[in-house]
Amino acid sequence: MSYSKEKVESILNNGISRRSFLKGLAASGVLSSLPGGILQANEDLNTKIPYLGQKNYQTFRNACPRNCYDTCSIKTYVKDGVMQFIEGATESTYTRGGCCVKGNSYVKRVYSARRLKFPMMQVGGKGSGNWKRVSWDYAMETIAKKLLEMKKEDGTLLGAALTKYSGNFGITHYGVEGMFNSIGYTTRLAGTPCWPAGIDAQNLDMGDMWCNDPEEMKDSKFIILWGVNPASNSVHSMKYIYEAKSKGAKVVVIDPVFTEAASKASQYIQIKTGTDGLLALGMAKIIIDANLHDQKWLDANSKGYKEYKAYLDKEIKLDNVSKITGIPLAMIKELALSFVKAKPATIWMGYGMQRHTNGGSMIRAIDALVAVSGNIGKYAGGARYGHLSTWGFNYAALSQTKPEGSVGYTGPEGAKGEFAQVGGEKAAYTDRFLNINKTARELLNAKEPKVRLLWVACKNVFSQDFDRNQLIRAFQQLDLVVVADQFFNETVKWADIVLPVATQFEEYDVNVSYWHYWLSLNEQAIKPLFEVKSDVEIAALLSKHMNKLEAGSCTFPQSVDTKAMTIKEFNPGIYEQFGIKSWEELKNGSVKAKAVIPYADGKFKTPSGKFEFYSDKALELFGSALPTYLEVRKPYDKFRMTSPHSRWSLHSQFQNLEWMEDMHPEPYVYINPDDAEAKMVKEGDTVAVFNKQGLLRVKAKVTDNVQAGTVLMYEQWYNNNIYNVNELVDDTSSDMGAFKTGAPGVALHDTFVNFRKL
Amino acid sequence: MQTFQPQTTSRLDDIKHLRDIFNAQNSKELKVAFDALNPSFTISEEDLEVQFNRYFVGPMETVADPFASVYLDNPDVFMSKSTLHVRDLYETMGFSYSLKNVIPEDHLGVELDAYYQLLFLEEAKEITYLSDLRHYFLHEHLALWIPRFLERGLAQSEKDAPAITFILQQLKSLLIRETTTTRSS
Repeated sequence: MSYSKEKVESILNNGISRRSFLKGLAASGVLSSLPGGILQANEDLNTKIPYLGQKNYQTFRNACPRNCYDTCSIKTYVKDGVMQFIEGATESTYTRGGCCVKGNSYVKRVYSARRLKFPMMQVGGKGSGNWKRVSWDYAMETIAKKLLEMKKEDGTLLGAALTKYSGNFGITHYGVEGMFNSIGYTTRLAGTPCWPAGIDAQNLDMGDMWCNDPEEMKDSKFIILWGVNPASNSVHSMKYIYEAKSKGAKVVVIDPVFTEAASKASQYIQIKTGTDGLLALGMAKIIIDANLHDQKWLDANSKGYKEYKAYLDKEIKLDNVSKITGIPLAMIKELALSFVKAKPATIWMGYGMQRHTNGGSMIRAIDALVAVSGNIGKYAGGARYGHLSTWGFNYAALSQTKPEGSVGYTGPEGAKGEFAQVGGEKAAYTDRFLNINKTARELLNAKEPKVRLLWVACKNVFSQDFDRNQLIRAFQQLDLVVVADQFFNETVKWADIVLPVATQFEEYDVNVSYWHYWLSLNEQAIKPLFEVKSDVEIAALLSKHMNKLEAGSCTFPQSVDTKAMTIKEFNPGIYEQFGIKSWEELKNGSVKAKAVIPYADGKFKTPSGKFEFYSDKALELFGSALPTYLEVRKPYDKFRMTSPHSRWSLHSQFQNLEWMEDMHPEPYVYINPDDAEAKMVKEGDTVAVFNKQGLLRVKAKVTDNVQAGTVLMYEQWYNNNIYNVNELVDDTSSDMGAFKTGAPGVALHDTFVNFRKL
Repeated sequence: MQTFQPQTTSRLDDIKHLRDIFNAQNSKELKVAFDALNPSFTISEEDLEVQFNRYFVGPMETVADPFASVYLDNPDVFMSKSTLHVRDLYETMGFSYSLKNVIPEDHLGVELDAYYQLLFLEEAKEITYLSDLRHYFLHEHLALWIPRFLERGLAQSEKDAPAITFILQQLKSLLIRETTTTRSS
């Protein structure tokens, strides 16, 4: 071939050559001769001049909407409509210009070849793998017809169920619940698999779950990281911990596992799993016995201290505390006394500790310890767990009225979830609530009417929920399973219809954290790829099709744009709290809520208005008014299995990306050397880990990061790997959670297994 | 297994039919384009689409992604360097693209469309103004990634999907023919 590569590249890369070439193209009449296809003749030839080195980016404000403490403020760099890179926004002192390992992969995530691209139907039955492309109109008409048919046959829409959780915490994504609100009374998988036991515990003690600003930790004199691993899972919090440490603060990690955070601490205390509550009670007793407790604060601000002290005096024996927790008594005493002498001191309780059958009671015991030490309501102090105090949005997308004449559930009412609970007068009917932590059996057992349609959004059921075999049965018995997602996963595998969902870079939204105090706008930075739509656009399209088939059957707006929907979420309260006059100010960067020290005024939202050591509500609901020691679940197999988050993923999210697969390609079971030796397992051996629930085959890593008697397997799904640790987890509940979130949590870390070399 | 022979149709028609197969948005469009390429091959509309989606569309991980960047830049990502290079080429060729930033320019269907239109200028309209660009596009881009795409697709389709094998073989024949055809001027 006698073409000239150099000549063409010169035209492509040189602005002047290209201009003259294009002039010739226009003059020659070529354009009018093109036959036309997906590409059209560019009649005006207003072609961009090639990139010649200028950093001509457009920038946009974004926010990470994942279920993570850090909720990073992001600055997105776009050129010619294509995301080039992102960085943490510098305006947020919390994010401070950096993202975590997952956030830094966002460009790869958005442009992943694995993205779901089009609405599709599985034509060979669930799990067949036979998929057909359908138009959005066809998909939504099919769903709308099914809903109206069910309504006609059942007299209600309680046969339509929604399961949605934390795949996207953007505020407009509550439009998914809004969509279900707008069609009538329906069935909801309610509760949370994550943190409910602790939410209940803090609400019993303080009437709220409300924590100090994490940025204050830089001024704490003593920090206990209790069952939390921020070095992996809240990396931006670490700089405050490092700063405190550099100023002389002591940082202690208490955890059954030697975590990344433990490796950065002043001291690591390896506690026997599930005995944390007893350690907290023992520490409180030591503090009180040494007369170092804050009697003045307790007198003014607490209820039931006397009963609590009496309980400690009578029931808590320090020798037993040492024996049961596995920590030398001298170490416990030193820890308790140095903690109480440091002012201010704080404890950060992670979501790992409360995932036990005694999880709520352990959080109550630690709250009590912080109260006794006089660190509640103090700058750089506090019993930190999480907060929703900056979540006061309008929930406009969520708040839809029911169609006239809607008929619903008349059984006992449950709470609706930890986010965005809306009040109002008691209606004649309610939605029907099923326990999200027992999804499989609840779907199978629901009667009158049975569940016939399931909508899955912001959630990978097969990765997060329990009892996979029962889940398959539950999905197969459903007439229609609709999954809205960004990637193919095992839940999509068992769907009838899959709807491709936009990433946060393809829609407008607004985000806040359940940990820090920053508010971030999420601007649409790029066009939605292929045929993806945002959750609220999907809701609007469903509304359009339902109303076309039956006028008045859905009250959700029939067309929305995500920017208009986002603007509707703001209100004067938000503006006041964050010190801005308009949402548009967020285009300049995220803003922080005005500083407030939780409970500094001594006012608690408990029935007594005080910190409640003694809670009548706790007595009524859980049989114990005081934060007492509750033994952890008895073993039903030889080894305890704990399943924490890894730093490379948020459950199944991000783990499918090449960067993560490079670093963390396959699952392992982490085994203590003593246990490995007893079972003749060596590093790299393939072992079967099994229990009454199931069996997984994984490679072994032998490490004393985990204690003898315990094995560790990270939660999540790995791409092209059948591994899912939840296949070994039963759905046994933690002690608390039903009070505030509608259902108790799951005692994930009270799973027991055995293993053998294969 | 069904046997078939590559069809002997015109150079332009072959490209057009293959383009229409990869740009089809539903089973009907796909079947019309497939039948135009080989009217004697028996397969139902639904079976053809199910197989086609398994290989090239999803939602499951596809056998062979039809994006150049996946073969030239990074196996997991599109809208990367090669996509933007092709974007520049199209603009220099005088094309505008209404799906810019929606469907990447290096999708096989879009690239076949560009190639078809350029060849149409030369063959049907006898305009050679863009022939250097067409040859550059063919030799410096299409010929670099389509063989890898074919290799991946054929390795699987020859085991389980004769209709897909037929499509890929036609594409292979086309690529061989185009890369070995002497330019007209």
